[in-house]
Amino acid sequence: MSPPEAAVVERLDPLEPVPVLAGRPGDRELNDQLFGPVWAPTRRGWLVLFAFSATFAAVLIGAVTYTVATGIGVWGNNIPVGWAFDIINFVWWIGIGHAGTLISAILLLFQQRWRTSINRFAEAMTLFAVMQALIFPALHTGRPWFDFWLFPYPSTLGLWPNFKSPLMWDVFAVNTYFLVSLLFWYVGLLPDLAALRDTSKSLVARKAYGIFALGWRGSARLWRHYRIAYLLLAGLSTPLVLSVHTIVSFDFAVSVLPGWHTTIFPPYFVAGAIFSGFAMVLTLVIPARKVLGFENVITPRHLENMAKVLLATGLMVSYGYMAEHFNAWYSGDRFESFLFFQTRQRGPYAPVYWLMMFCNVLVPQIFWWKRARQSIWTLWVASILVNVGMWTERFNIIVTSLHRDFLPSSWAMYYPTWVDWSIFAGTVGMFGTLFLLFLRFVPSVSASEVKELRRELEHEAHASAGH
Amino acid sequence: MASYVLGEFADDAAICAAARGLREAGFGELDAHSPVPIHGIDEALALPRSPVPLIALVGALLGGSGGYLMMWWMNAVDYVINVGGRPAHAAPAFVPITFETTVLTAAVFIVGGLFALAGFPRLHHPVFEVEAFRTASVDGLWLSAEVEPGRAEVAAQELRRLGARQVSRVDEEEEP
Repeated sequence: MSPPEAAVVERLDPLEPVPVLAGRPGDRELNDQLFGPVWAPTRRGWLVLFAFSATFAAVLIGAVTYTVATGIGVWGNNIPVGWAFDIINFVWWIGIGHAGTLISAILLLFQQRWRTSINRFAEAMTLFAVMQALIFPALHTGRPWFDFWLFPYPSTLGLWPNFKSPLMWDVFAVNTYFLVSLLFWYVGLLPDLAALRDTSKSLVARKAYGIFALGWRGSARLWRHYRIAYLLLAGLSTPLVLSVHTIVSFDFAVSVLPGWHTTIFPPYFVAGAIFSGFAMVLTLVIPARKVLGFENVITPRHLENMAKVLLATGLMVSYGYMAEHFNAWYSGDRFESFLFFQTRQRGPYAPVYWLMMFCNVLVPQIFWWKRARQSIWTLWVASILVNVGMWTERFNIIVTSLHRDFLPSSWAMYYPTWVDWSIFAGTVGMFGTLFLLFLRFVPSVSASEVKELRRELEHEAHASAGH
Repeated sequence: MASYVLGEFADDAAICAAARGLREAGFGELDAHSPVPIHGIDEALALPRSPVPLIALVGALLGGSGGYLMMWWMNAVDYVINVGGRPAHAAPAFVPITFETTVLTAAVFIVGGLFALAGFPRLHHPVFEVEAFRTASVDGLWLSAEVEPGRAEVAAQELRRLGARQVSRVDEEEEP
């Protein structure tokens, strides 16, 4: 096998498209390469990063303990800004998760081959992001030890949840999303867990991976069920992922607040979720492919395609902004126009609004240029800016709309406290910690799927050579 | 008590031909093991249709109807919550959760059904006794036949004749 970097860079014909798999490594070579990070001894850089994110994860645990022990009065939430950092961060993290499902399920159904080497990665991101998201509403109930009241269970209280509330829809949507994503990820992982078991050098590793592999034997009888099951799970995940952010948007759209009460919200939220999720995949995959040496399986073609998705979803989000502003003006509703043309653009939180416009509308336009799509640094910086932009979007929707109520007498400013910031930074740390553990103990690119991709590509090469 | 005879083959075509050959020679309990699905093996082994789609359908129907009935019974029968005089049985408001329970139950049925069909978790299996079988999850293509101990030698010879690169035999131990 030629060195990965050289195989990608040395293209003689500039008109030849960049491949989704550079070179044609054999099955054993692929295993050695993709499982390399799992079997190699722990690296210094990994330990440093792990210590860094684990510190923030500890901050999260501390801040959550403090919140639970004292009460959510330690947050900056007030009247009228009853939803603030907790809901901003919830929506932000859930949105990030959406790209994972889109890559693994929707692109699978559309037979997009470039998903193969990034799907495991993106699905792991989904799981860890949804875990962070779930922390926020759980705490925001105020008494998280009673959170089980959200579920319909026969209790001595003799009452049931109100299923007509969008907040209950959210409980079902997010929990379903987490569980189905977990099942999908785990089922996809089984062949690789078995390969890890079979290539392990130590008895401990063999037993540990063996338990998780459940006794996978690569049986033809099972493959037959497995492929159908995997496709069906993808088929179920596709409408599921669209439903989740739609339902999250109902939390807002069903209310009467100016800036929330809009029919554009469901599609606009879904587009925004995919936009931010792809940005997060890029933020993570660009350094990871370099450090793990996976440049031949995650090629510039993958990065370029993700940049195109960023551009497309960025345009959809921009359309959402346009529709919102148009409706505020066209409806003739004084509260709506006041919010959109006064409060947001010139109010005390105006910098957040303009930062959102810059990051979400202007920044992705750079991807009209091929040179920008192919520049690793441009991609990485833009992806971080989009993450920032999508966070400011949720701040703008939630805080800016709430702080100017219908009655000027109830207007008030919202300022996050150190606890708010600590919990937010802490979830980023916890996410990083989980992601680093994933990179260390699980092959981050699916070896079995890349092997299948190689067979398909070879088959095609044979077929076209025959003509 | 049964014996397992395992043979390793070079490529998809060889293993499919061998599977056909063994089947014609009258060996019933055949299976193939490979890191990725083998092209054409389903026909070679004459595998029946997978029941997974049916399991998924049953799960989806149970989840959907169960979810809707749950909400109807809880909110419109057992404990009616009157919010601004809106109907207690409000079909449109029940749509989102009905959808979510449909998807969740279908997914759980699919994965549960898959594991049940596979007999998972089954951490140990006689074929794992063969050290070389470890390649089955990496790059090896293996054909296995479950046979009466008396027919094991015949099966092994048949596998060699059909072009197996290496043949192994495992005898299941008597239950104590």
